[in-house]
Amino acid sequence: MKMLRVYTILFAAAVIAMGAGSLAAPCLAQDANTGNAMSFAGTKHVIGLQGVKHDVKGTLSAGDGSLVFTKGKKKVVVPAASIQEVMTGKDTQRTIGGTVGTLSMFAPYGSGRFLSLFRTKIDTLSIEYLDPSGGLHGAVFTLPAGNALGAKKALLSQCARTSFPVEAEAAAQAKPKEKKQ
Amino acid sequence: MKSIGHLSALLALALVFLSTGSTALAQDKAHTKTPASAIQILMVQSDEVKLPIEFQLALYENLIDQVQKTNKFQHVYRDGDTAVANAAGLVILHSNVYGFRKGSEGKRQVTTVAGATQIKVHCLFTDQAGKSELAQDVTGNVRFLGGNLRATLDFAKKVAKIAVTNFQ
Repeated sequence: MKMLRVYTILFAAAVIAMGAGSLAAPCLAQDANTGNAMSFAGTKHVIGLQGVKHDVKGTLSAGDGSLVFTKGKKKVVVPAASIQEVMTGKDTQRTIGGTVGTLSMFAPYGSGRFLSLFRTKIDTLSIEYLDPSGGLHGAVFTLPAGNALGAKKALLSQCARTSFPVEAEAAAQAKPKEKKQ
Repeated sequence: MKSIGHLSALLALALVFLSTGSTALAQDKAHTKTPASAIQILMVQSDEVKLPIEFQLALYENLIDQVQKTNKFQHVYRDGDTAVANAAGLVILHSNVYGFRKGSEGKRQVTTVAGATQIKVHCLFTDQAGKSELAQDVTGNVRFLGGNLRATLDFAKKVAKIAVTNFQ
């Protein structure tokens, strides 16, 4: 009888401890539910990350409670909990860009101008985050079209915060398409 | 012959006046520089116009990059940095966007004359107590080469130049 009571008390204590644990780290629990880290290859870092050059392509991934941007051997980690805002947007860029794109401007008969008419759609992902001393940073990425909302969802599942829920942003981005139809 | 003599004397006098005037001006310019050893750059605000967040962040990050590149200040602090509390000789840069026209890179490259991107920002340098040290409107443009965000770099370079010429 005594043993039974001890077991009941231990069981109750275990239940309480589990409940408190999930309250303390809700995002980790969410991450376990949503699955593994997500990565987005072909992401361009436009500006803002410390230690990475502007306008370089790499891989953006969200997992283990952080955002990671990898370019070759370089790896920049931003704790997701320090991310205060995540916003997405849409834009276009030249299909033939970079140095070749610039040089094509000098091609004869306006062929460079003609080439610049060919544009590809891209998504933009902007984040605001705080460094350990409380300084505010902003970073802007571009991703292949259709990936930004997925990246935002992945970041939010890792504890990042936003003032614009994913659903509202998806609805806002879908509206112009409806109007066109 | 006499008139030539008079003329040369007048010319010499004019030269003397000009040179003294320019040195006096230069001295005045040097005197008007405000001493500052650190700067805090606050997040760019856009109360009057709707500015896309990528432009807002690019303006802020480019400002920090360009001001750091000048090596004018011992410390360049970000918005919210707690270390500012101990900083001496601090100036704070407030930026507020009051005009924005998002052009089109495609239009710029096809037509050369159309599709310019323009950002107009009111910049205010204050001391820690909030007293205004310098206020100036700065415009960032991209007219030909580069993406729309390049206007933010143009703006930041101009602000860095203002900081160099007005603070010591």
